[in-house]
Amino acid sequence: MAYIVIIALGVLVNFIIYLSFGSLITMGIGKKHRGSSCPILLSSVIGFFLYYCVFFVVCVPPMKYYRPLSMLTKIWTPMVLVIVAASLIMNGKAWVDGFRQWGERIRNWPVFILLILLPVMIQVILVSCTYNFTLDAAYYVANVATSVETDMMNVYDPFTGAWQDHYEMRYFFATYQMQDAVVCQLTGIPALIWTKSVMAVTVILLTNIVYYMIAREMFIPASPAFGPGYEEAGSKSGNSCAGTVRNNELAIPVMMIFMFVVNLTFITIYTSSLFLMTRTYEGKAIVGNLAVITVFYLFIRMNDGSIGKKAWLITFIVCFGAATISSSANMLLPVELTALFIPMLIRKKRPGMLPGYIACVIPGIVFSLVFVLYVKGYFVWYTFPK
Amino acid sequence: MQGLNVTEKGLGYLWACLTSYTGACAYLMLYVAALLYICVFGSRREKEIFIPCSVFLILTVYNPVAPVILNRFFDVNSEYYRFFWITPVVVLVPYLFTRLILTVRGGRERSVITVLILCICLVSGNFVYRNGIQPATNIYKMPDELIQISAIIHEDSEAEYPKAFLEYEYNMQMRQYDPKMQLTVDREDYLNAVSTPYTEDMLEDEAHPQYRLLAFLVRLQPVDREDFLDALESSKTDYIVINKNNPRDTFLLSAGLKKIAETEHHNVFRYEVKEPYDFELVDYSVVY
Repeated sequence: MAYIVIIALGVLVNFIIYLSFGSLITMGIGKKHRGSSCPILLSSVIGFFLYYCVFFVVCVPPMKYYRPLSMLTKIWTPMVLVIVAASLIMNGKAWVDGFRQWGERIRNWPVFILLILLPVMIQVILVSCTYNFTLDAAYYVANVATSVETDMMNVYDPFTGAWQDHYEMRYFFATYQMQDAVVCQLTGIPALIWTKSVMAVTVILLTNIVYYMIAREMFIPASPAFGPGYEEAGSKSGNSCAGTVRNNELAIPVMMIFMFVVNLTFITIYTSSLFLMTRTYEGKAIVGNLAVITVFYLFIRMNDGSIGKKAWLITFIVCFGAATISSSANMLLPVELTALFIPMLIRKKRPGMLPGYIACVIPGIVFSLVFVLYVKGYFVWYTFPK
Repeated sequence: MQGLNVTEKGLGYLWACLTSYTGACAYLMLYVAALLYICVFGSRREKEIFIPCSVFLILTVYNPVAPVILNRFFDVNSEYYRFFWITPVVVLVPYLFTRLILTVRGGRERSVITVLILCICLVSGNFVYRNGIQPATNIYKMPDELIQISAIIHEDSEAEYPKAFLEYEYNMQMRQYDPKMQLTVDREDYLNAVSTPYTEDMLEDEAHPQYRLLAFLVRLQPVDREDFLDALESSKTDYIVINKNNPRDTFLLSAGLKKIAETEHHNVFRYEVKEPYDFELVDYSVVY
C-alpha cells in the first residue's frame, strides 16, 4: 500500500511541477480556439521538457566543477518551489478554469473518458508492476543510485562503482538522471522505485496525454477552419471530421485504444514501442516516444496554424529538453524537424519560419559536435583538478 | 544494431537493419498501405500531415546510401535503427483504423470491422508479453535472491564497499539496488565474455585480471589455479556469487574460498584478499 502511495504522490507532484513550469510558457494559447487560457494537458507536456531545460542549466556548472550532488539539491529545490509558487499566483485562476472545463467534458462524455482511461491505466499497471531485465538499466538506474550514494554527479562508474578520472561525455549533457538523483536524495526514495515506478508511470501518462492531443487534433482540430462540420471538397471517403460531434468524440478513445494495441504488438528489441512498454524510465524511451510524438503534435498544430506565436518557442523547449534527457535526441530530433517542417515551410512559402527551425535544430547539433570532438580526443573534462 | 556493420554490408545495411528492426511485424507495411490510402482518398489536410514527411523519410532515412554516408562522419552502426522511430507508425496506422471504423454506419458493422482490425494488429505484430507477464515480487523490481545476497555480503563483510564477482544477470542488476557493492567486472567485459572466447594473450594480460575470472567462471575455459587466485588477488575481489549449476563450485572450495551462504539458486563464496584494499570515496573537500 505504501508503495502505491509513494508512486501516486510522486506522479502527482511531478505533474504539479510540470503544469507550473509549462503554464509559464503556454499561458493564453488555448484561449483563442478552445476557450481556456490554460491548456492543461499541453502545459503539462511542455512543462516536462521545460523543467529539464532549466534543470540542465542549473546542473551542468556544479557537475563540471565536481561539486556534490547535495549542493545541487540545495540550489534546485528552492528554485522549483519559487517557480511553482509564482506560476500558481500567475495561472491559478486559469488552472481552475481549465480543470472546470475538464469536469464538464467528463460529465458530458463519461463513457468516452472511461474508454480513454482504460488503456492508459492498463499501461500504468503493466509498467509499474512487472519485472523486466534490461542491460541499459545497469547504467541508467545504477547511475542514479551511485550519484546518491557518493553524493557526486557522474564521477563514479555506475557499472562497477570505481572512480573515473574524467567525465564520459556521451552522458554528460543528459542530465535527466541527475534530476532523478536529486529527487532520490531529497526524498530518500530508492533509485529503483523512483526510476522504474514513479518516472515510468509519469512517462506513460505524458505519452498518452500527447496521444490524446493528437487523436483530438486529428478528429476535432483546434483550428476553426478544420472544426466539427468541416468537410473538404473532394474528400471521397467521407472525412471523419465531417461526422457528428458524437462520432468525433468517439474517435478519440478508439484511436487511443489502437495506439495502445500498436504499442503492445509492434515489438522487436529495437522498436520504440518496446522501449515504451518495458524500458519506460530510460531517456531513450522518452525521446523515442514522448519527444518524437510531441514534435509531431506541434507540427500538426503549426500546419493548421492553431498554436499561435509561441509555436517555435514551444518546439525549441521540446527539442532542447529532449537533448538534456538522452543523447539519442541529438540525432533524432534534427532529422524529424527537417522531415516535418522543411516541406511545410516550402509549401506555406514562409521563409520567416526558418530561424525557428534552425534554433530548434541547434541544441542537438551542438551536443553532437561536442561529443565528436571528445571522441576524436580534442578535449577531456576531468573529475578532479589537474 | 548488434551484428550489423555499415562498412561490411554497404548498401545492404539498410535492408538488413530494417529487417532486424521489424522482425516478424508487418506494421511498416501497414504504414505504407495507410500512406497509399491517404494519397488516394485522404483530405488535403491529411495529405499535408502525412505525405511530405514520409516522402522525406523515404528519400533520407530509408535511403540505402544514407547510412553509408553518415557512417563516414559518425559511428551509426549500433544506432541507425533509431531513425526509424521518427516514422509516425503509432499515429497513422491507428488513425486510419479509426477512420475506417467511423466510415461504417451501424453498430454491428462497426463491431465486425473493429474485430477484424484487431485481428490484423495481432497477426501483424508480436505481442510484448508473449512469454507471459512476469510480476515484480518486490517494490524494487529486483529478484528476491539478489536482495538476499546483498544482505548476506554486507553482513559478512567488514568493508563498507565490498567487491564482488557476480553471475551475469545479478552483475547487471546489483548496483541498481545496492550502490555500496563494488563489482569486479563491468558490463562490456561481461557481454564480451558471453559472446567471445578468451585467447592466451588475454588470459596473460596482467592489466585485466577479470578476464581470467570470466574465462574460468563464465566461459568455463581452463585457467591455472594460481592464475585464478592471482586474478582474485589483483582485482581485490572479496566475494564470488555463482549459480548452483555452475560446475566451478568444487574448485572454488578446493582453492581455499569459503562458502559463506547459499540461497535458493546461488552459492556465495568469500575470498580472503591477502593485501586488503578498502575502497574509499575520493575526498573532494580539498578542492572547494
